[in-house]
Amino acid sequence: MTLPINNGNEGGPPGIGVSIPRADAYMKVSGREKYASDYYGEDLVWCGVKRAGVPHVVIGEIHTRAASETPGVLAVLTHSDVRGTNRQGVLQKDQPVLADDKARHCGDAVALVIAEDRHSLNKALDLVSFDYELLPGVFDAEEALEEGAPILHENHPQGNLLLSGEYRTGAGASAMAECDVVVEGSFRTPRQEHAYLETEAGWAQVQDDGRLFIVCSTQTPFRDRSEVAEALGLDLHDVRIKAPYPGGAFGGKDGVTVQTLLGLAALNSGGRPVRMQWDREESFLAGTKRHPARLYYRLGAKRDGTLHCLDVHMVLDTGPYDHLGGVVLALGLEHAGGAYRVPHVNLKGKCVYTNNPVGGAFRGFGVPQVTAAIEQMIDMTAEKLQMDPLETRLRNAVRRGDKNSIGKTLVNSTGLRECLKALGEHPLWKSRAEWKAGAGAFKRRGAGVAALTHASGYGPVVPDVANAKVELTREGKFLIYSGVVDMGQGNATTNLQIAGSILCQPTDGMELVLPDTDRTLPSGSASASRCTYTFGNALIGAAENLKTRILQRAADLLMARSRDEIVLIPGGVRHLVSGKDLPLSVIAGFMDEAERISVHHFKAPTAPENFDAGPGIRMHGFPHTLFSYAAHLALVEVDELTGEITVCRYVAISDCGTVVNPQIYEQQIQGAVAQGIGFALCEDLVSTQGLILTQDFAGYVIPTAADVPEIDSVPVEIFEPSGPFGLKGVGEIAMNGPLPAISNAVADACGVRIFEYPMTPERVLAAIRDACKRISE
Amino acid sequence: MRKFAYLVPKTLDQAVSLHQSHGNRAMYVAGGTDVMVKVKSGKITPDYLISLKHALGSPQLRVNSDTGELHIGSLVTHRTLETSSTIKRHYPILHDAVQHIGSVQIRNVATIGGNLVNAVPSADGAIPLIALDAVAKVYAGTGERTVDLIHFFEGPGQTVLAPGEILTEIVVPKQPAPSAGAYQKYGRREAMELPLIGVGVQLSLEQGSNRCTKARIALGVAAPTPMRSLAAEHYLVGKEITEETLGEAGKLAADESRVRDSVRGLAWYRREMVEVFVKRMGMKCLERIKEMGA
Repeated sequence: MTLPINNGNEGGPPGIGVSIPRADAYMKVSGREKYASDYYGEDLVWCGVKRAGVPHVVIGEIHTRAASETPGVLAVLTHSDVRGTNRQGVLQKDQPVLADDKARHCGDAVALVIAEDRHSLNKALDLVSFDYELLPGVFDAEEALEEGAPILHENHPQGNLLLSGEYRTGAGASAMAECDVVVEGSFRTPRQEHAYLETEAGWAQVQDDGRLFIVCSTQTPFRDRSEVAEALGLDLHDVRIKAPYPGGAFGGKDGVTVQTLLGLAALNSGGRPVRMQWDREESFLAGTKRHPARLYYRLGAKRDGTLHCLDVHMVLDTGPYDHLGGVVLALGLEHAGGAYRVPHVNLKGKCVYTNNPVGGAFRGFGVPQVTAAIEQMIDMTAEKLQMDPLETRLRNAVRRGDKNSIGKTLVNSTGLRECLKALGEHPLWKSRAEWKAGAGAFKRRGAGVAALTHASGYGPVVPDVANAKVELTREGKFLIYSGVVDMGQGNATTNLQIAGSILCQPTDGMELVLPDTDRTLPSGSASASRCTYTFGNALIGAAENLKTRILQRAADLLMARSRDEIVLIPGGVRHLVSGKDLPLSVIAGFMDEAERISVHHFKAPTAPENFDAGPGIRMHGFPHTLFSYAAHLALVEVDELTGEITVCRYVAISDCGTVVNPQIYEQQIQGAVAQGIGFALCEDLVSTQGLILTQDFAGYVIPTAADVPEIDSVPVEIFEPSGPFGLKGVGEIAMNGPLPAISNAVADACGVRIFEYPMTPERVLAAIRDACKRISE
Repeated sequence: MRKFAYLVPKTLDQAVSLHQSHGNRAMYVAGGTDVMVKVKSGKITPDYLISLKHALGSPQLRVNSDTGELHIGSLVTHRTLETSSTIKRHYPILHDAVQHIGSVQIRNVATIGGNLVNAVPSADGAIPLIALDAVAKVYAGTGERTVDLIHFFEGPGQTVLAPGEILTEIVVPKQPAPSAGAYQKYGRREAMELPLIGVGVQLSLEQGSNRCTKARIALGVAAPTPMRSLAAEHYLVGKEITEETLGEAGKLAADESRVRDSVRGLAWYRREMVEVFVKRMGMKCLERIKEMGA
């Protein structure tokens, strides 16, 4: 289906910096796009998981007989049916596919049932039971580090400490003595649920050639392939993973969810296709969450507002498995001081095992937690010094060439000051005093800012690479092979835009091939604000290379003196000297297959610095070299009698390099701000003794469109020479801003600061009451 | 999802008789926004769903010009109530409530009768109707009976309806003039939300003064069933309606409420919100009465 689209250049190739419509839009809104949950096939069977339901137990005998005898049940599988390592995980392989020794949280998978239909499946799942010996659990990350705390992984050398980092610059915390003012704060951020529209889902079948084929909602098809093969004892090449557009992911599908279980079911279904779809409650129970954080900060400054010393201690709750907890810790440590010059820094961080839900990747990846802290510490410092919070930030904000708060020299584009200055000129900032004065009865208004930075890519050790592939088919059509998943960010469209602008083709004249381990090339995860930066660079190389080959072959065919006389036009080439055109199909006929396919490899630049932040921290990604920046403004109204916070207006000014597609760029900012507002005001996956209390969307509240204010997204376009067309990552940075900007605005409005999040009306009202009490005393 | 037979009787008698023959394996269904969700999740497992669509006839929303009574057929959707100019002008308390139930898609399908029969403590539809002294008409096969809506609810998910009985209509008596009402659904977001607390206030004043002749203060999520604060109502009658008297009424209502802690909100906070919103809704009633007079 092709549609007339406005590509910014009627009928011609897409421009860069133009909002071409998303390639997936029509298929998605018309319900035709085939998601992982849309795969069925003849003879389909369903599989589902028996979850532990208890947070910490030694597993005894698993009773499967009653379930196996249920009509319609094909098989009931346990750990003893897994032929491989039965372990998964990105770095530490500490998570069983099916629990063997212990269950370490309520969502652990104990048995896998395969059945003809969902009704028999559910019936059988209810009939699976297991003997267990209850173990004491640990549900608080700091208690988990105390002596005598129940241990989750007996063979982990550091007990419940998954990973710790320690890092010092200058004189460390002892420089606090040299400061004129010191402020302190302890912050607690909540466990956030991704809440994607499409829950974890997939389809699998053993193909006629004996290979296992899995179609699933994932951000990481190539890494999944390795994990599935290893856990199930298969050869890597006997597993194929195809990744359609996920219906949202936000980090929650960075790593294995249904994949291994589906694979195991397909190996035991007699060749029939198998489908698995978690319902919302299962997604809440077994899916990963943003790590809850405890943050203890001290920040010291000179009288003129110059930051001098920072002392940070942070503790992250990773739940029972590493997943990506160690990497989240490393990124949190790196961003703990924000984008400021601070000469003396002492950072300590711990990522800790508990029997709570599993922590994992979530847009922001440790940075929203630490930004919540540092950006309020800056306001608290400014308040103490009676300085303007924006001025205080400008005084300390990094420039290109500066060393940031961990001493990393910033060699790439560094636009934080430009963002802050643009914020200072924004009409909503300039008119804030009048706006605040307009508050009604029992209402207080305030304005709050936050300065943001976010690294992109994998850091110094794990290679951040992409391999792009572009093909001119025998019929003269371009195929663009996307190596990185488009989970909704729009990078698939950006790929078409980049390739189309180089190959001079309208986007509807090209075809996208979505990630598939058999067809596309390994290009890393859809994560880390890296997708278009890393893959885009590879794609430019592949497209330019193919363009050169086409022009050269056309030059020979058209007897041109050199290929400089030939240009690509939509559907063909033109010889500029003679005015003669040749269609691409003809040129393709004169190229052999190897020539018609062009591949290009790109590796993102890494930091040359070798900082010692403790064993393993460098491996986990510390430090990065490329950063995006932003300055956010929140205007809020607080109801003094109910404690309710209304975010009235929001401004996000971002330096994410050149804007390739303004619409997609703005959607990234808006989506992240909305998610950030949820993190700030209402989202909290509450669990007690490892049991989730907010089990569905009636209990776990995310903002709706009606709750999100008008968001003004202003790009500060600073060309980043290493980026494709000058761009940097835009996917995550805006997630970091809302919590501190809103909290600073609340403090501006009513003089109270909330230290535990989300800022529910109860917490705000209680804080207002406490403040009143203190004043009257 | 478990399989069930879907039955569509043509008359109320047929519906009742079908229900009698299938007993507790059968269940009535109207809009289905609550029933179908529970069936799909396996929380209820009826073998028969008896649609009331035809038996109850086309949904009626009308004012009887002789009696001044408002008749709301139980199949009337929330969207119909929301978009009715009569409701908006003369029963603003009901309009306040229905416009924040679920989403437009849900309101297009969900019926007021279903909202009442479902009997959740947070039923936004029930609170304003109770404040309006509404009466439920119930068809029992052997004839019709009426129940004051305040006595319709027995506990969470439980009403006075005997097995097989059908709620056919809600009748709202004519309100003494001048009067107005207001409802606050207080939740954590603007749409698709259950209230933390629901507060409905309906006030009637003496002609030409602010002296209260009748007061109704109805609360949702303040007890296992929708409730009225009789102490607050009693206090207001005969008094000038001012910020002070409404504040006092709010305190009395808060004291009388039987709020609980839950994962969605704490009891102390809910109690305070009763106080805040009784006052705010009372002030809104005053404003609305003034607007009507103007």
